[in-house]
Amino acid sequence: MKPKKEKICSKEREFVYKFHAGSQCFELAVPLLFPVQEKNPDHLHGRLMLLHNLPCFIEDDLKRALKQFIEEETIKDYDLEAESALEVVKCTEGSSEKLAQAWTKAYIKTTLEYARPEESSWDEDFADVYHDLIHSPASETLLNLEHNYFVSISELISERDVELKKLRERQAAEMNKVMQELGKTLTDQDVNLVAAQHFESQQVLENKWTSELKQVTTIQKQEYQEWVIKLHQDLKNPNNLTLSDEIIVQPSQLQEPVDARGRMYEEQQQLEESFTIHLGAQLKTMHNLRLLRADMLDFCKHQRNQRSGIKLHRLQTALSLYSSSLCGLVLLVDNRINSYSGIKRDFATVCQECADFHFPQLQEQLEVVQQVVLYARAQRSRKWKLQQESASRNDEEEEKSKNSDRNQSNILPGEFYITRHSNLSEIHVVFHLCVDDSVRSGNMTARDPAIMGLRNILKVCCTHDITTITLPLLLVHVMSEEMTIPWCLKRAELMFKCVKGFMMEMASWDGGVSRTVQFLLPQSISEEMFYQLSNMLPQIFRVSSTLTLTSKR
Amino acid sequence: MFPFKDAEIGAFTFFASALPHDVCGSNGLPLTPNSIKILGRFQFLKTMTHPRLCQYVDISRGKHERLVVVAEHYEKNLEALLREQKPISGLKILQIAYEVLQGLEYMNKHGMVHRALAPHNICMDQKGHIKLAKFGLYHMTAHGLDVDFPIGYPSYLAPEVIAQGIGKPSDHTQSEKPVPSGPKSDVWSLGIILFELCVGRKLFQSLDISERLKLILTLGYVDDIMTVLAEEHGCLSIIKDLPENTLALLTQCLTYQPSKRPTAAELLCASLFSEVSPWYSPFHKPRSLFSPSLRCADLTLPEDINLLCKDEDTDYLAERSIDEVYYLWCLAGGDLEKELTNKEIIRSKPPVCTLPNFLFEDGESFGQRRDRSSLFDDTTVTLSLCQLRNRLKDVPGEAFYPLLEDDQSNLPHSGSANELSAAATLPLIIRERDTEYQLNRIILFDRLLKAYPYKKNQIWKEARVDVPPLVRGLAWAALLGVEGAIQDKYDAIDKDTPIPTDRQIEVDIPRCHQYDELLSSPEGHAKFRRVLKAWVVSHPDLVYWQGLDSLCAPFLYLNFNNEALAYACMSAFIPKYLYNFFLKDNSHVIQEYLTVFSQMIAFHDPELSNHLNEIGFIPDLYAIPWFLTMFTHVFPLHKIFHLWDTLLLGNSSFPFCIGVAILQQLRDRLLANGFNECILLFSDLPEIDIERCVHESINLFCWTPKSATYRQHAQPPKHTTESNGGSRATSHISSDYQDTSKTDLAREPIRLSDLKSEVSPRISAEDLIDLCELTGSGHYKTPTKKTKPSKPKLLVVDIRNSEDFNRGHIPGSINIPFASAFTAEGDLVQGTTTATLQSFKGRVIVIVGHVHHIAEFAAHLVKVGYPRVCILDGGINKMKPTGLLTVPSPQI
Repeated sequence: MKPKKEKICSKEREFVYKFHAGSQCFELAVPLLFPVQEKNPDHLHGRLMLLHNLPCFIEDDLKRALKQFIEEETIKDYDLEAESALEVVKCTEGSSEKLAQAWTKAYIKTTLEYARPEESSWDEDFADVYHDLIHSPASETLLNLEHNYFVSISELISERDVELKKLRERQAAEMNKVMQELGKTLTDQDVNLVAAQHFESQQVLENKWTSELKQVTTIQKQEYQEWVIKLHQDLKNPNNLTLSDEIIVQPSQLQEPVDARGRMYEEQQQLEESFTIHLGAQLKTMHNLRLLRADMLDFCKHQRNQRSGIKLHRLQTALSLYSSSLCGLVLLVDNRINSYSGIKRDFATVCQECADFHFPQLQEQLEVVQQVVLYARAQRSRKWKLQQESASRNDEEEEKSKNSDRNQSNILPGEFYITRHSNLSEIHVVFHLCVDDSVRSGNMTARDPAIMGLRNILKVCCTHDITTITLPLLLVHVMSEEMTIPWCLKRAELMFKCVKGFMMEMASWDGGVSRTVQFLLPQSISEEMFYQLSNMLPQIFRVSSTLTLTSKR
Repeated sequence: MFPFKDAEIGAFTFFASALPHDVCGSNGLPLTPNSIKILGRFQFLKTMTHPRLCQYVDISRGKHERLVVVAEHYEKNLEALLREQKPISGLKILQIAYEVLQGLEYMNKHGMVHRALAPHNICMDQKGHIKLAKFGLYHMTAHGLDVDFPIGYPSYLAPEVIAQGIGKPSDHTQSEKPVPSGPKSDVWSLGIILFELCVGRKLFQSLDISERLKLILTLGYVDDIMTVLAEEHGCLSIIKDLPENTLALLTQCLTYQPSKRPTAAELLCASLFSEVSPWYSPFHKPRSLFSPSLRCADLTLPEDINLLCKDEDTDYLAERSIDEVYYLWCLAGGDLEKELTNKEIIRSKPPVCTLPNFLFEDGESFGQRRDRSSLFDDTTVTLSLCQLRNRLKDVPGEAFYPLLEDDQSNLPHSGSANELSAAATLPLIIRERDTEYQLNRIILFDRLLKAYPYKKNQIWKEARVDVPPLVRGLAWAALLGVEGAIQDKYDAIDKDTPIPTDRQIEVDIPRCHQYDELLSSPEGHAKFRRVLKAWVVSHPDLVYWQGLDSLCAPFLYLNFNNEALAYACMSAFIPKYLYNFFLKDNSHVIQEYLTVFSQMIAFHDPELSNHLNEIGFIPDLYAIPWFLTMFTHVFPLHKIFHLWDTLLLGNSSFPFCIGVAILQQLRDRLLANGFNECILLFSDLPEIDIERCVHESINLFCWTPKSATYRQHAQPPKHTTESNGGSRATSHISSDYQDTSKTDLAREPIRLSDLKSEVSPRISAEDLIDLCELTGSGHYKTPTKKTKPSKPKLLVVDIRNSEDFNRGHIPGSINIPFASAFTAEGDLVQGTTTATLQSFKGRVIVIVGHVHHIAEFAAHLVKVGYPRVCILDGGINKMKPTGLLTVPSPQI
């Protein structure tokens, strides 16, 4: 079928036009390429007139003849093509079946009329209900309830911490004793045994608490969701308005240790500077940038000591949860999808501090991600194979075999997974961007996987209405020795420039939505360094002029 | 476009298919989003005006590739007729068929295929006439390539359409274009619809989609399609009883072989329509404003002129065209997305619920659930006009039919007229959003433009108030004086043959105002290419300079569906404002232009001029793209429109004032910075407040003596045509200096190097006489002076030595001899005359004297911060022959 079509596509036909001038008869023959472009007939006759130096009195006639010729030939082409298609159906067995199925599939997949009715998903209904409630006077009650749940979890956690601490102290004392006896009554083996015992009992205790926490949060979540649905129903029914004042905030009993921690943070005061920039050559869009020195997880933690602030934060985050202005955070992780070590562990701890009433717990979300990654890899390798079959290239095969060597469930630098949260203080969406040790090196380029991953993150921000994004400016969470001042400056410059480029690109994807980008610096960076970087930013981004309120000359 | 009448405005929405992540086009640039491609192709549909087609009005792009199409709409359609389950036959069927075919034939003539013909897309107006809806979907989506859903409805697809497959490329890398359907597939669909109408029920209802399609395909094996279909649906008797011509029509439409099936045009001529065809007269497209034939040729007035205004309380809004009504609907607070959301056509999920789980480094995402809200729902929602009608209920009928003759002053002003004049003083941004105000302006301009070129003067007058955005394209054409058979002229230009400039054009177009949806669409690029090539080809003495593309952009944007007009406007604009800028060697033109510009900076803002000269930041470094593109390279389109609304009213020296006005907005930053910062500042120009800029430049223009911006390379005056137009009420703003002055008191050309050496502009003796009102008869203290308050007051400073001065000088001038005027430090020596000079600071100061010193003196004055200093061209000698010099009478 294909060669035949090509023949039709590039068919050249001769247009013959005869006309009389006085007693003479002229003939004009022009080759025309079919199918003719839509606009061509209008332009064509003018060109013919010019090219062949034709007399003006035939212009109208030529125009008509040309138009008619094109129309007739086009219809002929259509007919030819249509009939050849029908012929193919007639001749090939089962092709009508195949065609009908293809059409059916297209209709079912893409049109509302024929699509299968949607199985109403519970969390979307809940999303609607919640969005309604939080934008109603009931939001106060809702937040109080959430807060109370939060307080009870906090209490549980501090209880756990105390118990664990006690256990560790006791074990330390025991170990001390054992160590003193080492070489006297006890051998190395005995010490190892004791250590193993200690570890085991720690594990048991931790597991016990983990399961308890999990149980409590599950119960809370269920209670909460039921209650929300009920409240929504009650509010629809105007007769009873009693429910809303049932819940009063319980005062937290955990003032002391929290205060201590709060003081500790205050020592390292948060440095912050904001900028307004305009991007674009002719049409400019305004964006907000913020440079701050803070801990990544500060955006996730609920500050327990700020009694008035907490509710405002919560309200803000809750109001926008199902809206189209979300807040995202980029977290740098290693290549394993779990929460056992480093920042991943810290993040998981923060997540546990408060039950998530909307989305699955972090652990469950990670399990889903793991499955998705396996599925995605399988898809990829299938595609690879297909491509290999069509064009057997050796070098690609090599790469493929390299791919298959490593663990399929691990992720590569530049790839990232996404988790959703309703229980963090200022963040809805967390991008877990995989980076490796190359981020520590001084000569990172704009083509680095981590930077490409960042670009994809910003693209997801575009497609999913994430309007505030917080990212680590230096692409590291903690500073180390090799990160000297020149290293920092170089890295910051690279990041500023790349992010500027991506933001300009974003304007073409979404038509220029105003965004907020927050660049985060590690806590350990010096004040001087901070101001050096904050001087660099306006040089790279064009900072809009300050509004002068002086009167005109 | 026809009057709105009883139509309604409908809107429907769909998604363009998303592009694969990060695939680049063959030119290395990112691919154009499908929604923009569709938007570009849609524009042509706006020109499809036919009584049997629903007029397309607008398309808008929403978030995430959503498109909303606005078109004429009627609630009544054939679907409703079918639902009554009563067989229709006889003349009614023939009439419906004939009218549908009329619509199809018109579409085919413009190379379009409906493909989605179905009972619910065949609407009926109040009088029962057919209006085809959604006829442009197949065209705007490039035969369905740019959308995920198939176009057409299973029951009505022609067999060859089914056989050709969906042609949807599963993988974008091996993009195989779908085989486009021919016009005859619509005839089949019509046959099925007519069949349904005849039997009074829908076909294939009991079958699922794939069975339906298979059945249609198997119809090729049967002898008599009609009988088979009828038997299948148990209505053989009805079919048997049909009148002969109806039966013939059905048989012809439902011909399996496309080659044997007639086209719409052939069917219309068939004898079976002999009963109905006399009812219809052939449709002629109304003539456009710029056409070689008489626009009033077909105008017939009824015998009794009163018949025209017989119905007293008509709905005036219904007499306006649909695009005006829609435009006003938007102004009155209409929001497409909101209307569609209210009707639950747009049901978007919260974005947090649709996030993917995992992304590869190359951006491919996984774990994202398919969003059901992206499914195609072709319901058309009627937009309620209540709000608009409510808004306009107090607008009197006279507003819809304003009187255009000039003697309006004696008419009593109604209340709304006062309101309007009050509205006219509001800022432009507010006026452009005001429904009533825009209604009045649109109607006024519409009527004035219909009377173009007869009403040219009044268009100029009204344009000075403002130009309504809806008619800006035509209004600009009128202001530029475009006339004649522009379409034929444009058609006659060869725009296809390759020329050497093609490569440069090809490079520039994808970089020109691409934030705009229209101009970034492939359709827009093609139009760009044609208009630019047409201009280059038709101006053999000029060449393509980078910047011509930007210059073309506003005209193309405003006249997107009328390339000929865009071309004509551009061809009229360039000689007026950019005469010879596009010469192959344009350096002398540009150099002169920039020198005059720097003189204008010194004239209006000596402090800034001094600073810029000091740091060496000369106009050559930043102002060439400003003037070469008339600021189109610098500003986004919406700002260009406001700027040019005024620019087009001014003469060729107005751009200087705009340039100075821009500099003044950046004044503080320029003064505070050195060379490098200034370069950086202009490489990415900060936001400019355009309305302030326009006001400021008008103000500057009024302060500038006409001859100060004289350029020897400006367009030579037109002696031939315009001279007889004495009635043309052009103010001094719009007429060029070169147009008016021809006497020997005018300015004479000087060498560029001389011009460059002078800081301050020269003015002609003629100008000086005019400004001092030294005309032979009247004294300069005559009361006529009061009638022209806009004329700047000026002070003439004579720098000859006092003897020469006493021998004869310009009345009112003061004498500051050059030799003793300045101290060694360059400051003015204090004295009585210099005190007078000081007191005149801020007004125009003309330096008069012997030729060699005046420029130097002026430079000194600029140095010490005197604004508006200029020198007399040719010195005092120019004035001597006029006999206007006086000898002061001895003081008594």
